[in-house]
Amino acid sequence: MKNGKKLLSLLLAGSMALSLAACGGDTTTTTSSDSSSQSSESSSAETDDAGSSEVDTSERVDLVFYVMGDAPVDEQAVEDALNEKLLEKVNATVDFQFSTWTDFQTKYSLELTSGTADLIYIANWLNFGQLANSGAFLELNDLLDTYGSDLKALVGEDALNQCSVDGQIYAVPNAWPEYVSAGIKYREDLRAQYDLPVPDSLENVESYLLGIKENMPGQGILTVTTEESQGTQTAFDAAWILNFKYPWVTQNGLDYGLAANYDTPQEVYDYWFSDDFVEDMKLMKKWADYGFWSKSALSDTNDSEAFKTGLCVAEIAGQNPSKYITAVSDCEDGGQGWEAGYIAYGETTGVIYPGHAQQNGTAIVRGCENPERAMMVLQLLMCDEEINKIVQYGIEGTHYEIDENGLYVNLSTDFGYEGFSTWNLRNGDIKLSSENDVLLNEMFDKLEAIGAETKWNNTDIYSGFVEDYEAYAAERTAVSQVMRQYLAPIQAGLVDDVDAAIEEFRTKVTEAGLETVRESYIEQWKAYCDSYGYK
Amino acid sequence: MKIKKGPSTIIFNIICYTLLVIGSIVCVVPFILIISGSFTDNATILLEGYSLLPRDFTLDAYKTIFKAPQDILQAYKMTFYYTILGTALGLMMITLTAYVISRKEFKYRNTISFLIYFTSIFGGGTIPWYLMYASVLGLKGSTIAIWFPALMSPFLVILMRTFMVGSVPDAITESAKIDGAGHVTIFLKIVMPVLGPGLATIGLFLALGYWNDWYRSSMFSTDSSTWELQFYLYDMLNATNALKQMSQNSSIPTSDLPTQAVKLAMAVVATGPVLLVYPFVQKYFVSGITVGAVKG
Repeated sequence: MKNGKKLLSLLLAGSMALSLAACGGDTTTTTSSDSSSQSSESSSAETDDAGSSEVDTSERVDLVFYVMGDAPVDEQAVEDALNEKLLEKVNATVDFQFSTWTDFQTKYSLELTSGTADLIYIANWLNFGQLANSGAFLELNDLLDTYGSDLKALVGEDALNQCSVDGQIYAVPNAWPEYVSAGIKYREDLRAQYDLPVPDSLENVESYLLGIKENMPGQGILTVTTEESQGTQTAFDAAWILNFKYPWVTQNGLDYGLAANYDTPQEVYDYWFSDDFVEDMKLMKKWADYGFWSKSALSDTNDSEAFKTGLCVAEIAGQNPSKYITAVSDCEDGGQGWEAGYIAYGETTGVIYPGHAQQNGTAIVRGCENPERAMMVLQLLMCDEEINKIVQYGIEGTHYEIDENGLYVNLSTDFGYEGFSTWNLRNGDIKLSSENDVLLNEMFDKLEAIGAETKWNNTDIYSGFVEDYEAYAAERTAVSQVMRQYLAPIQAGLVDDVDAAIEEFRTKVTEAGLETVRESYIEQWKAYCDSYGYK
Repeated sequence: MKIKKGPSTIIFNIICYTLLVIGSIVCVVPFILIISGSFTDNATILLEGYSLLPRDFTLDAYKTIFKAPQDILQAYKMTFYYTILGTALGLMMITLTAYVISRKEFKYRNTISFLIYFTSIFGGGTIPWYLMYASVLGLKGSTIAIWFPALMSPFLVILMRTFMVGSVPDAITESAKIDGAGHVTIFLKIVMPVLGPGLATIGLFLALGYWNDWYRSSMFSTDSSTWELQFYLYDMLNATNALKQMSQNSSIPTSDLPTQAVKLAMAVVATGPVLLVYPFVQKYFVSGITVGAVKG
């Protein structure tokens, strides 16, 4: 009997643990039903005085903002400071929840399914287009007009248009046009030392690299791999240098060996079967024969520190102005008199545009119970200078200070620059620059001037396109495999007979079903161009 | 008496020892590389790669970690907590369930066994699983969501049941019953005493499962102070990779990411204590595993 009691108490303990779990469930359901009644109240209040932008903010609303990355150490302190202001202004609070970088794609879709968040970070690399299509986010047109007019003015019609599907706006992009124009990062000190040309065209790149090769025997030239060429555009990183020749060789460009010029996006032409392709591949072969890259380049793993450690003298794939800035400060820290230089490919081709509006934005999750308040909060987070500074940089005096030049200086590792990973709340008018940003902003000004001359005036017309390849997934995979197997060695110049190799590649890729893939792809691309008026 | 060794025995021994030596080298070398790398200057690793003995010996990586050791210590603490609590509760629930479905006089034992077995073949999938804990039970952010889902697994219940049926003959429980014992007495006095090896095996499975888990932290934690150790390490690597990837398209500061040497030192700090404990508990591990294997 005594043992029976023991067992009973054990079981009791177990059932208590279970009921605890159940209680946890209870509390959340009550809060959520509470807030749903709140929302019905506020929406009824809204219908009462339709037309005016005044909302009944007498009920406090607690919003959840889902963002990417890891939580900063001082999350709570900064949230408290932020919520103090938000409660005062719109009687709402924001709790930031972080995805962490593990499995973030899965967790992001789960977050949208379970719908605990109200505001959420969006980006094209998180499949914004597809998600908006499938109705994961709320339409913002009316909300923006009624509760977010300042925000609308700040971001601008064009950018909002880029975040819309069929005329419905689904996200508010950040308000800091950022130039991520790919380019070549090179060693300015070596170029000056050996009096070599600035590598701003294919010929000059060749003489720059060749010059170093001759003057510094044993020095590594390029550490190109297949790292940045995993898509269905190119198969080997060296091919990105062709951006100097064609403006459409960019990460945003068309796939499957197709090409469309920036000015005439609807005129799609065939690159893989053109004579240009043969000529370009012969150039790659020539460079490979010069020994610009290793014979084992196709199987090498990418070394992202190669430039910093001096294993290469130029990087041509996956570069952008911010990486150049990082390299500049690395060179300064290194103290060996190194100097980095950067030429954006667009400076030569004249086609430059900032990152697409879908790169960093904010959406309201469908199922959000207080969309009005969420929009008001979003407007404050972006437009109100005081609030924006808290959310982006933390508490002044504790986490950062502004030096005599008006530059951001970090004071604590517990909350860094943009410590909440809220790249979507950047506001160019009030964004603080750090010391490194001065150089970056100079570069951006230069690129912006070039972009202003283009036909679409600083607009990325490519990245809003979302390919739906469900109908031809098998062919797509086959094409991709042929590219890895046959195109990669050609682009790496590691074949004996370029003409024969290209012939083989063309046969194989046709057999893989290139026609089917291209037909459907071009159709989708043209429909996309039509819907945004890119003619 | 000494057994005379024929040439075939000697050859056999040579082959065995050679294979064992190769096997242990394969196991040990990577670990030595990690340790030596953690003591090497980061620039040296980047320029010259890894070596068996540290070149440019430095303690910088460890200094970086132990400047703020509370994170890793907290992760250790939480993992111990989950492992001990989860293993204890899990063992209790699995043993009780197994006892019930091993009793012949329990009318619905086949139905219930089938239901348990069924879940091991047809699962609901990640999304319903996540929604159940996050939305229905509202456990997101709670530590319960981290230890609770792994308390029982169909495989372990069935293993335990088989073990019980095999090691406690019906005749014994029947005789106990005739003497007037109820189920509680039978379970505690007759079944439990012979269950030792079974408990060790199942307990080992459970404990290893808890120790190695990172997925539930990834799914349900909203606060880094509740992270499991494995997730803490895994996330650090992932963050480095993700930020490098993202800096492709965006201005994101990447300068303060952990260096190679720091990552290696982290691995040493995280696995070191386990390695120190292992020799002392090894004999239990071995007996537990072999018992499980024989009885399966």
